[in-house]
Amino acid sequence: MVVSCTSQPYSQGHAIYTAHCEGCHMEDGSGLADLIPPLDSSRLTLSDPSKLVCLIRKGLPFNTFTGQQMPSNTSMTDVELANLINFLGVEYGLNPQTIKVTEIKKMLAACQSE
Amino acid sequence: MKNYFSLSGSLLLIMLFVGCHAEPDRLPILGNIEVRGTDTLYHLIPDITLIDQDSQVLKIASLDNKVVLVDFFFTSCPSICPKVKKQMLRLYDRYEHDDRVMMISHTIDQRHDSVTVLNRYAHNLGVNTDKWKFVTGEKDSIYFLADQYFVSVVEDPTAPAGFDHSGRIILMDPHRKVRGYCEGTDPESVTAFFETVDQLLKEEYK
Ligand code: HEC
Repeated sequence: MVVSCTSQPYSQGHAIYTAHCEGCHMEDGSGLADLIPPLDSSRLTLSDPSKLVCLIRKGLPFNTFTGQQMPSNTSMTDVELANLINFLGVEYGLNPQTIKVTEIKKMLAACQSE
Repeated sequence: MKNYFSLSGSLLLIMLFVGCHAEPDRLPILGNIEVRGTDTLYHLIPDITLIDQDSQVLKIASLDNKVVLVDFFFTSCPSICPKVKKQMLRLYDRYEHDDRVMMISHTIDQRHDSVTVLNRYAHNLGVNTDKWKFVTGEKDSIYFLADQYFVSVVEDPTAPAGFDHSGRIILMDPHRKVRGYCEGTDPESVTAFFETVDQLLKEEYK
């Protein structure tokens, strides 16, 4: 896992992470035992930006094995989503590409139609 | 020159004095202290009946000779609970093999957090429930108990998932007296708390 304070250019994405994700996934992305997964770049789905956008927007259904649930983020704007995803890319190696706001719009449209 | 020396001398004295005071011999006993005649009455945690993650009765007074680490949470909490649990896990790792220490996490959401839900939570946290209990009980008793531990808990429809509570971790001695606490949302506060717990262990088991 890459923990870089000095080279992290996405301070807005970091602020969004702190407000919406850190409470569960922790400051260092380590998660909590088997209850909340770590943000780990080894998971293939996470390096696919279009899947990541849909996951953050829609969350996941209640997990009956852990009793936990990844919440949806319906009020996050496209700009916030782009900042967050670019932050995750640098900080946790999730999705190494840089995403533009216009791309977020297309990806969101695609995940709604699934 | 002479003045300079005496000034630095008295500064040194003051620093020594402050130094002594920063290291008390005993941890304080928190809460109201009442003196009645020759007796001093301290704040005691009431002996409330709780139900643990295996549906077993747990009486606080039956925690024989244990130093107890306490917190309040609920399993579906999206705000501070996972962070506090992460810090409770640090405490667990540190005292896992020290039989003098026990841990109790109380749910403040009795409606949702049944014994089954608590059991599943403990299992997914991967801890030994002989050492770390996850308990529920009468709602009023648990809220009263939180208050006695100096933890604020309120049902608040505007808060995340409907509860507002503090992430304090409390240290109770074997005589049901509260001897310290830290902020479970702040790793540094918990690191400092290790020493508080160690000091209580030294005091209690000479
Ligand atoms: C209320 C706690 C909570 C919050 C807040 C939360 N998550 Fe999650 N997240 C979870 C849980 C629980 C899972 C696992 C769900 C499952 O497996 O069913 C999860 C899964 C994930 C995964 C998939 C991990 C994997 O390896 O499969 C990612 C990525 C993720 N979350 C990112 C985020 C981001 C980004 C945010 C902030 C916008 C966020 N989460 C906010 C609880 C949370």
